[in-house]
Amino acid sequence: MIRKLVLIAFVVAACGNGISDNPEAAAIPDLPETDAVSFAAHLETIDRPAVVNVWASWCLPCRSEAPLLNTAFEQYGDEIEFIGVDVQDTQAGAKEFLAEFGLDFDHFFDRNRSVPNSLGGLGTPITFFFGPHGELVSTHNGIVDERTLALNIDELLQLDS
Amino acid sequence: MEFTLLFAALTGAAAAWLGLRIWPDRLPERAFDQLIGASVTGLAVGRLAAMVDQGINPLTNPGELLIVRGGVATPIAALSFILFLGWTNRRQLSNLDALSPSILLGLAGWQAGCLWRGACLGTASDLPWAVAQPGSDITRHPVEIYAALLLVVGAILVSRLGWRPWLRSGAALTVASLARLATEPMRPSLDGGPVGWYLAGLLAGIGLIALGLLRHRQSATPT
Repeated sequence: MIRKLVLIAFVVAACGNGISDNPEAAAIPDLPETDAVSFAAHLETIDRPAVVNVWASWCLPCRSEAPLLNTAFEQYGDEIEFIGVDVQDTQAGAKEFLAEFGLDFDHFFDRNRSVPNSLGGLGTPITFFFGPHGELVSTHNGIVDERTLALNIDELLQLDS
Repeated sequence: MEFTLLFAALTGAAAAWLGLRIWPDRLPERAFDQLIGASVTGLAVGRLAAMVDQGINPLTNPGELLIVRGGVATPIAALSFILFLGWTNRRQLSNLDALSPSILLGLAGWQAGCLWRGACLGTASDLPWAVAQPGSDITRHPVEIYAALLLVVGAILVSRLGWRPWLRSGAALTVASLARLATEPMRPSLDGGPVGWYLAGLLAGIGLIALGLLRHRQSATPT
């Protein structure tokens, strides 16, 4: 019986075409592509602190920290720039993720993972904390918890004041 | 892989184990197992509650239950911990009085486990003992160490109370809530922290103490 169920599940999964039926995801435009050089240039133009979160739709811990980033953005979005960098992903996967979590800030698509690689981050997710004009202040490798996020945001605000 | 959270949990377990050795009077059988069982239950239920609060469906994403670092609803975890212990000792609820100082010491160990995690610091401060994050000039309150010290002092005070029913349990709940309430303003937070829950814990603790004293007075009154 279990073998049959596994076989059916495998066939169903294999037959899936991976195309999203989610209208919210379909309404999201393709994320702009970026690389290390253009992303660094973009950061230099931002005259306030920035939190850059590296995520991917296939990354399980990214799902857990997404609501936290939303809360932080709602609270500090006026003072701090929030940017998402989707790495080693597909545009379809990225849109599904954004539709599910409603991360309402700017996101970039980094197919080759060149942004976190150039900044020395390890794994996914990673959160980089920048001062104004792209000055890297600190890096948090792995899932970020509420305390760490709040503390590092406070650190950015103290530096900026 | 990062194991700092596990080290913090082990520090808490070691502190609770030490508490059981320091204050062995009237302990139930397998007291340490009970505390570990209650902690694991609290963690799992608290994580589940946090997932639901974050809009993550635990049925479609069961693997995320293991990502404890993604958040645990502290008040729900504490409530589950207490309910687990209450259910385990339902035939002899006075066992909770004997466990109370060790629970506070275990909590102190968990808070002090911030040293493993590099997560002791709170809001900015100029006090002489304030500490800066690595690479930063901004000094901050070592707020988790404050909480740990308050809990250690609380555990010692609770262990010195008499054996009137509920007195130690109520006092322990009061101490744990007060320790959180006193330190919460020094914790960086995105939403201000669950202060309402800590106030509820404080009131419940005071209520238990009052209930215990009332029952003691009634049983001492000659009929």
